[in-house]
Amino acid sequence: MGASIAIRGVAKSFGTGKSRVDAFGPADLDIAPGEFVALLGPSGCGKSTLLLMLAGLLEPSQGEVIADGRQITGPRTDIGIMFQDNTLVPWRSVRGNIDLQLELRSLDPRGYEARIKDLIRTVHLDGFENRAPYELSGGMQQRAAFCQALVHEPQTLLLDEPLGKLDAMTREAIRRDLQSLWMRSKPTVVLVTHSIEEAVQLSTRICVITPRPGRIEKVIEVDLPWPRDLEVRKSAAFVAEVAAIHDIFRRFGVL
Amino acid sequence: MSDGAVVKSDPAPATRGRFAWSKKWLMPLFFLGLFLFWESSVFVFSIPRYILPPPSQIIARGWADIPLILTDTFITGGEAVIGFAIAMMLAVPLGLAITFSYVLRHTLYPLCVSLEMTPKIAFAPLFIAWLGFGLLPKVIIVFLVCFFPIVLNSILAFGSLSEELTRFCRSTGAGPWRTFIKVRLPAALPQIFVGYKYAAINATVGATIAEFIGSDQGLGFYIQISSGNQRPDLAFAAIFFLTALGLAMFGAVTLIEKLVIPWDISQRRRSKA
Repeated sequence: MGASIAIRGVAKSFGTGKSRVDAFGPADLDIAPGEFVALLGPSGCGKSTLLLMLAGLLEPSQGEVIADGRQITGPRTDIGIMFQDNTLVPWRSVRGNIDLQLELRSLDPRGYEARIKDLIRTVHLDGFENRAPYELSGGMQQRAAFCQALVHEPQTLLLDEPLGKLDAMTREAIRRDLQSLWMRSKPTVVLVTHSIEEAVQLSTRICVITPRPGRIEKVIEVDLPWPRDLEVRKSAAFVAEVAAIHDIFRRFGVL
Repeated sequence: MSDGAVVKSDPAPATRGRFAWSKKWLMPLFFLGLFLFWESSVFVFSIPRYILPPPSQIIARGWADIPLILTDTFITGGEAVIGFAIAMMLAVPLGLAITFSYVLRHTLYPLCVSLEMTPKIAFAPLFIAWLGFGLLPKVIIVFLVCFFPIVLNSILAFGSLSEELTRFCRSTGAGPWRTFIKVRLPAALPQIFVGYKYAAINATVGATIAEFIGSDQGLGFYIQISSGNQRPDLAFAAIFFLTALGLAMFGAVTLIEKLVIPWDISQRRRSKA
C-alpha cells in the first residue's frame, strides 16, 4: 500500500522583487494511500513545480508538504521518480540501469532478481535486458525507465509526463502497462500530464490546474470501472468526463 | 513482395557497388597523386632544389640521415608524451575540484581561463632562461599547452550532468562519492576526451616550438639547423616525422577513447559509418 501525501498552503515563486515569478499556489491537497492522482494542466501551469516539491527536490516558498504525517524537508528517498527525459545512462544496459537504482541505494541487485524479472515481463521488455538504451525505441526506453523507477518497491511514484515525448500509439500501450503495474501493488501515484484522456483513463482523482499562477482549480473524482480498457474508453461516461474537463479549460481560455 | 523486387526498387545497392572500390583506394590514390603533382611541378617549373625539393629527394636524403632523425623524433616525442601525460593526470582532478568548490571557482577558474587565453609558447624563453637547454623546460611548455584545455573541458564535463539525472541521484539518497563513481564520472568522460584529444594535437606543437626557442637536439632543432644550412629536403623529412608523431599521439588517445567510452554517441556514429 502506498504512502499518504498532504500539501498545506504550498506555494512556490522564483526570483525576488520585480523579476519574481509566482509559479504555483498557494494550494491544499490530500492524497490518500494508494490513490492515482493526475495533475492536469497546460504547459507552464506549475504542475511540474508541484511534483518536484512533492519529491522534496524543490523547497516550497510557503506552506508544507507532508508525507505519511512527516513534514518533507529534503529529497525523499522512499519514492520512484520519472521524467519526460528518462534517466537511463548510455554506459549501462537495460538491466544495468535497473540495477543502478539499487546500487545507488546500497542495495544488492542479487536480492531483487525475481522482482526485476517480473517488472521486465510486465512492461514487455523480455529479451532486451542486455541491450543498451540507445538501441531501443523511445517507447521501450520509457518502459525500461519504469522498471528503473519501480525496482526498489517505492510506496510513492512521481511521474513527470513520462509519456510526453512518445507517439500516440506507444503512449496508449504504455498507459495500459502503467495501469496494470499500479493495480497490482497500489502505490500512491502522482502523474503530471497535459493529456485529458490520459488523466481520465488512469486516475482515481484529477487535479485540474490552471496557469499563472498555477492553482488547483478543481479536484475531480473519476468514477469509472477498472481496468479502464478500450471498452471503458468508448463508454459514454468516459467521453462525458473528458468533455467536462475540456470545458473547464475552455472557460479559462486555455483551450 | 519478392526479394528481386526489393533490389530493383532500391537504387542504393547499385550506388554502393559503383563506389565500393573507393573505400579502399580513394585515400592512398589521393596522397599518391598529391606527391606526383609535387614531384612533377618541381621539374616542370624548374623550381630550385634549395627552395622546394621534390619528394623523391626528401625521401632519399632523409633516408641517408635516418639515424639522427629517429633519435630526434624520440627526443621530441619523449617531451611531448611526458608533458601530455602529466597534464592528463593532473588536469582532471583540478577540473573536478574547481567544479565543486566555490572558492576555487572564483580563484583558480578565472586564472585557468586567463592562462588558456595566453599563448603558452610566450613563456618558453623564460623557462629556457631559468632552466637551461635540457628536457625540463620543454616538458613544462608541453604540459602548459596541454593542461588548460583539459582543465576547462573537465569543468564543462563535470558541470553538465542533466537535471533529470541529478534529481534521480538525489532521490536515491546516494552520497556524493557513490553518485560520482556511478554516474558523474562516466557521464563526464566524453567531454574529458574532447580535452584530451585537443591536448594531444597540441603537444607536439608545443615541443617543437620550445625546441626552436632553445635546444641542441630534437626535431625542432633539426628543422632549424637544416633550414639554416639551406637543406629544405632534410627539414621536410623531419616535418614528416613530426606529422607522424602527432598522428600517433592523437591515434593513441582516440584508441583509448574507443575502448573506454564505446557507448558514447561519437563512437556509435563512427562504428556505423
